[in-house]
Amino acid sequence: MKKRRLSPGAVLLGLGKWTFLIFLFVYAVFPVLWLAVASLKTNGELMANPFSLPQVWQFQNYKKALAVSGIARLMLNSVLISTAATFLNVLIASMAAYTLSRFRFRGNQVLKVMFSSGILIPLNALMIPYFVLINSLGLYNTMGGLILVYTAIGIPISTFIIMGFMASVPEELEEAAIIDGACFYKRFFTLVFPLSRAGVVTAGTFQFLTCWNEFVYANLLTSSQAVRTVQLGIRYFTNQFATDYVSMYAAIIISILPSIAAYVLFQNQIIAGLTSGALKG
Amino acid sequence: MDVKREDRVGIVVFLTPALVLFTLFFIFPIIYLIIISFMQWTGFNTPVFVGWKNYLTIFNDKVFLRSIRNNLIWALCAGFIQVPLAVVAALVLSYRPLGWKIFRTVYFFPKVISAIALATLWAAVYNAQYGLLNGLLRVIGLGHLQTNWLGTLKTAFPSVIIYWLFYIGYYMIIVLADIQGIPEEYYEAAEIDGAGRIRQSLCITLPLAKTSIVTCILLAMIDGLRQFAEVYILTNGGPANRTTVMVLYLYKAMQNYSYGTSSAAAMVLIAIGTVVILTIKNTLGRETF
Repeated sequence: MKKRRLSPGAVLLGLGKWTFLIFLFVYAVFPVLWLAVASLKTNGELMANPFSLPQVWQFQNYKKALAVSGIARLMLNSVLISTAATFLNVLIASMAAYTLSRFRFRGNQVLKVMFSSGILIPLNALMIPYFVLINSLGLYNTMGGLILVYTAIGIPISTFIIMGFMASVPEELEEAAIIDGACFYKRFFTLVFPLSRAGVVTAGTFQFLTCWNEFVYANLLTSSQAVRTVQLGIRYFTNQFATDYVSMYAAIIISILPSIAAYVLFQNQIIAGLTSGALKG
Repeated sequence: MDVKREDRVGIVVFLTPALVLFTLFFIFPIIYLIIISFMQWTGFNTPVFVGWKNYLTIFNDKVFLRSIRNNLIWALCAGFIQVPLAVVAALVLSYRPLGWKIFRTVYFFPKVISAIALATLWAAVYNAQYGLLNGLLRVIGLGHLQTNWLGTLKTAFPSVIIYWLFYIGYYMIIVLADIQGIPEEYYEAAEIDGAGRIRQSLCITLPLAKTSIVTCILLAMIDGLRQFAEVYILTNGGPANRTTVMVLYLYKAMQNYSYGTSSAAAMVLIAIGTVVILTIKNTLGRETF
């Protein structure tokens, strides 16, 4: 290929492009890095200069953060609730997705439209009904209540994602299984479900992130430390730490570490899931 | 597949859990809200039918009107600033410049952090005394611009909505995936016809990636309408209700045991959401959710 001569316009465009890319890059990481560095300083150093590096790395900020915030317990709650809600959600959504994507029956189309319109309902508007519902089920301030709510609110999006993957499993495979005498359940559990594993994992990853990061209903439906999640813990940091900013920053860093770790571990899965086009409709 | 007789039971069994949950958590709540929005109810008394009174109350409340206004601004910024930025980033990255995978990974990164943690982090950035922003202004010699970003009438709302506008990763990845699925031949043909990259982007890429772009606009606008955590953490609606939003309004009404007005506000939010969705679908494209 012959090299193109760079016109002033092209140079300007290239400059603009890289400025744009690097700006967004810095914007995404810098605040978190700044917070991480600040969490290792003393309050005095932070006040004197928000950008200086710590003279001595103050790891005791983290010790203090763990002690004051009680975050270890909250993490455990978050793990239990998110794991249970993800497992239930993905199972129920896969079952629904199987029937909706692979069988023609009356009402099939209506149900598909109904489930996918659920994706766009602003769920935060439903605080009163959820509050009343969870109370009347006797699940207020229990992990079970949050697990139930989280399982339910993720049903539309998970069903939608998994349906896309299940629809692409060739019908001939299933017909062959029918000839071999495999019943409905056997075909689901041994054939269609395993073959749409990628979709199930994608839906599960999103469901887990949603549960882990959910705040509105965790705030509304719990009242005691024993069932609270990490996100609620963060809300109380400003009260707990008062003017001890650096320890609070340490607590924030601790609370986002699992998300970062999960992203680093599962980033290929997450990006592949989004890239599969499952979400573009 | 056509339904065989022996599959019928299985289909019912498999659909039931999802249908029960959907009915309980999506259909029932909306019917419930409609009913309660016409009642006077504190959560303790027997609900009393009051007609349109709750709706009149909220539409005569300046705070609620400001909530609607703020949410609409928020939704418009999300749909027509944040998403276009994401589209531009996706276009640039689709040519696979140096390190494009790293950019893609990093851009998505804020999406995995919770809204509440990001808001707390940005409260630290905006902090008047120790914050990153004021510190940055001092360093670059613009110290006179320092202010209490979240506590000043003029700067509070812009500060609350601007920070996440540049977190474009989620939409960028959806659009980028769509662009990368466009067959190479289209571009080769355009190349032969002498169309430059910008021309190619405008005439080939954008029209072909339209569905995913419209989906992103929808998701982004709904996101703008249902904001809560950000405002709750950063300002709790202050100063002087400048940063209030609809969900915060209905949350506070609920905390005050005005379940009727809270439900009416919730119904207004759902109605506005529906109007926004239908408008976008009718003007920009139907082939989405």
